[in-house]
Amino acid sequence: MEKKRSQFGALSLCLILASQLLTTQAVWLTLPPSGTKCVSEEIQTNVVVLADYVVVSQDHNHLPTISVKVTSPYGNDLYHKENITYGQFALTTSEAGNYLACFWLDGQHGKGETNVNLDWKIGIAAKDWESVARKEKIEGVELELRKLEGAVEAIHENLLYLKSREAEMRTLSETTNARVARFSIMSLGACIVASGLQIMHLKSYFQKKKLI
Amino acid sequence: MDITIKVYALGFLFLFTFTGDVSALSVTVNDVECVYEYVLYEGDTVSGNFVVVDHDIFWSSDHPGIDLFVSTPGGNVVQSMKGTSGEKFEFKAPRSGMYQFCFHNPYSTPETVSFYIHVGHIPNEHDLAQDEHLDPVNVKIAELREALESVTAEQKFLKARDARHRHTNESTQKRVIFYTIGEYILLAIASGLQVVYIRRLFSKSVAYNRV
Repeated sequence: MEKKRSQFGALSLCLILASQLLTTQAVWLTLPPSGTKCVSEEIQTNVVVLADYVVVSQDHNHLPTISVKVTSPYGNDLYHKENITYGQFALTTSEAGNYLACFWLDGQHGKGETNVNLDWKIGIAAKDWESVARKEKIEGVELELRKLEGAVEAIHENLLYLKSREAEMRTLSETTNARVARFSIMSLGACIVASGLQIMHLKSYFQKKKLI
Repeated sequence: MDITIKVYALGFLFLFTFTGDVSALSVTVNDVECVYEYVLYEGDTVSGNFVVVDHDIFWSSDHPGIDLFVSTPGGNVVQSMKGTSGEKFEFKAPRSGMYQFCFHNPYSTPETVSFYIHVGHIPNEHDLAQDEHLDPVNVKIAELREALESVTAEQKFLKARDARHRHTNESTQKRVIFYTIGEYILLAIASGLQVVYIRRLFSKSVAYNRV
């Protein structure tokens, strides 16, 4: 009876969430029996990161537990959990750089393959449209258009970011270009100076030895 | 036992709510790395791109590239790209289910690959007939959303390529500086050794009559 009730509860939860059809994302990663599986992403500052992870295993008897660690670009541990099968973390980035999320199996592992279903959202995709809809009392087509507006703003921001990176790249390339020219001429000069010094030294040496 | 069922249900419901795209994640490919994405409806357009970031090629000016194979749930390879260092792909899903995206690295050096996969669904007349909440407006909105997603995908591609360009530029800067300093040091050592050798040739202790 209890089993039927829990199954019914799970199924209804299934249906409720399936009816939303959010544009969420999921990728399945296969965890190796030993060692870690890491995914990373380069994220700028002040970006919301939201991630859900669930362990999916072909072994029906027991679900293997995993450990998760999320590190910032400077090496700080932002999230660390052991011995779990599902979880969620949310953070707002304070540094720009490569954020790393690592998963590994805890000691015991099941018979089949162990996969982790990772739902990783950043920026506009992590925005909670449900609360926006509730707060501003909009729904349906208006909500969809609001989402599209958010997407367009995100595109604009990305474009500005790409523009600034291109400017940085260009100054770096121009510096390297100037340095190559300068160093080549300097090495030619160094060659001439070295041979000049050699000749002077040898001449004075031979004159001292009374050979010339 | 209860918790197991709940967790399984959680897993399955995550499975069925996804019609989505993945953020541009990077994964390190040593030999083969496979990523799975669930396609909810048959006929959905699966689009995406991948870029090999953070590679260190020493002599050649070309990246040898990695391979990508996309397989349907049935096992057929629906897209295959060999030896590229970054490309976009798009295909119409012949059936719904779990699609496999595998990166093969034929070389021994591990490569970091940044990939982006998007599954786009536009409701068609069949869906309109079934769901009373859907208008023809929703179809247009879905088309608009897909168009914006393609722009976003392009931007993620550009961002990943820009990251690779940045690595190359930083490596070039480092090489310019270190190779020049190394060159000067070697020049000094070589000319010093030359002088020492010539002095030895003319020194009395080593039969100078030979010269």
